[in-house]
Amino acid sequence: MAIHQRNDWYDLTRATNWTPSYVTEDELFPDEMSGSMGIPMESWEVYDEPYKTTFPEYVKVQREKDAGAYSVKAALERAKIIEKSDPGWVTILKQHYGAIALGEYAAVTGEARMSRFSKAPGNRNMAMFGMLDETRHGQIQLYFPHEYCKTDRQFDWAWKAYHQNDWASIAAKHFFDDIITGRDAISVAIMLTFGFETGFTNMQFLGLAADAADAGDYTFANLISSIQTDESRHAQQGGPALEILIANGKKEEAQLKVDMAVWRAWRLFAILTGPAMDYYTPLEHRGNSFKEFMHEWIVGQFERSLIDLGLDKPWYWDTFMEELDSTHHGYHLGVWYWRPTIWWNPAAGVTPDERAWLEEKYPGWNARWGQCWDVITENLIADKEELTLPETLPLVCNMNQLPIVGTPGEEHWDIKVHTIEKDGRLFHFSNEVDKWVFEQDPQRYEQHMSIVDRFLNGDIQPMNLQGALEYMGMEGVAELGKDAHGYAWIEKVKANMKKAS
Amino acid sequence: MSSKSETDKLLHNNNVGPIVRAGEVAEAVAEAAIIDNPDKEVTVEANGAYSRIYAESELIVTRETLQEELGRDFKMNELEINLASFAGRIEVTEDQARFYYNTTL
Repeated sequence: MAIHQRNDWYDLTRATNWTPSYVTEDELFPDEMSGSMGIPMESWEVYDEPYKTTFPEYVKVQREKDAGAYSVKAALERAKIIEKSDPGWVTILKQHYGAIALGEYAAVTGEARMSRFSKAPGNRNMAMFGMLDETRHGQIQLYFPHEYCKTDRQFDWAWKAYHQNDWASIAAKHFFDDIITGRDAISVAIMLTFGFETGFTNMQFLGLAADAADAGDYTFANLISSIQTDESRHAQQGGPALEILIANGKKEEAQLKVDMAVWRAWRLFAILTGPAMDYYTPLEHRGNSFKEFMHEWIVGQFERSLIDLGLDKPWYWDTFMEELDSTHHGYHLGVWYWRPTIWWNPAAGVTPDERAWLEEKYPGWNARWGQCWDVITENLIADKEELTLPETLPLVCNMNQLPIVGTPGEEHWDIKVHTIEKDGRLFHFSNEVDKWVFEQDPQRYEQHMSIVDRFLNGDIQPMNLQGALEYMGMEGVAELGKDAHGYAWIEKVKANMKKAS
Repeated sequence: MSSKSETDKLLHNNNVGPIVRAGEVAEAVAEAAIIDNPDKEVTVEANGAYSRIYAESELIVTRETLQEELGRDFKMNELEINLASFAGRIEVTEDQARFYYNTTL
């Protein structure tokens, strides 16, 4: 029997809109959940998902993907990558699994919302596959690190992180709640699938895969690039939604959602992917710098696609481009300094050779961040570790929930805190863009307490670092972050000094 | 520091095409891109874990050429197993995958 080509029947079978008779259209698709901005059902029926699949195709392809990922893991188990890799690489795995695995489960709820409440039949259909994709991502990224828990408690944070009030967990949850769990269907399509998945997941899942392959961790390279093949498909749900909004006179609203999502994703991934690529990955395995990967994936590919859909560059474009040279260096310095408060062991990444690499990739790095690392290095050489450890909490941004950082200069840092006073409460922001995001919907954000707000409110007891660590969910010394190499890098600095003298 | 003109230049490109996970399919897609787009200058950038394959404004790879390159039957939707990302828009039929932009910068 001849089988019809998919193109012959696809449009007909996914035309699942009907005219409701027992309830009104607004009751079937409440705007709070659908986010259709008053655009009627028939206008959403032109939604044409560019990357199509059917259920039989999906099952067959996903089976192949999983068979590949799990068989590579099984085949390479004897390679003992955790035992044999540089500690800087191992810390990337801990950081990644904790920051990402349960965020994938949050994404299931966003896909589910589109699957039920989007007025576009094509969106609802593709989101059903998206739900299955994100379930796969959650499960596989819990399964892979699980075997390491018995020898290293920090790997338990793959599961723990999203259930804790660690500052990094709060930052991740704040972002993903804002673009996934707390948004209507069309906002999820725009902010999660387009704004986040066609952009920043490429940085973390493909840029990092390149470094993983170079570092010999083929299991991780294979896993995350396999996950990205799902993203590549379901991320295409946002584009047609944007086109319908633009065609119906809602370009301004669409642009706003994209601009907010991109900025928020940038800040989170500046602290996640930035240090991983430029400091944790062993020097000999680094290909591109974080900035070069940003140029490749975000500027050349993601932002270009945004223009093709009829949107504009974000209004903060110049600030964004300037930050590619600076923000993640400040974040790295802060993460390393406040290392007991995180579930991974940050590699300092500032041996003489690494500093030369940073200077080459970011001209002026030594004169800026280098001078801060000079002080840390001198203290460690003088056996004054206590001076390299925190006693207080940093000032945290009330939008991105991350420490507020600036660029060190000859005389002063260019740090400037942007504030808003509202009903007697002072809100602090990293810069004018984070402040702008807050101002778009203050009611949405103003009840949230940053980790510092909670500390000052007395929610964290006793009011010292120990109390803060317990509040963040650290169970014992084995979970506290420490220098990845146990300061072994200081010996390279000493050897260099000896050679110079 | 990146100059404003440098980043604007990076943004103002018309490169479209697949980013394929390293392996035999990536090699076949790279070859097919060259064969199926004879009038285009096709660039292949291998980066360990993936290959970025691109051309200006439009790039097509056909099932027929992929089957010839792989030496086996290949359905276009199998491309998804290795299609980690792509630049531009996508359109996949039973016979080909097409990457393109509607706008030219």
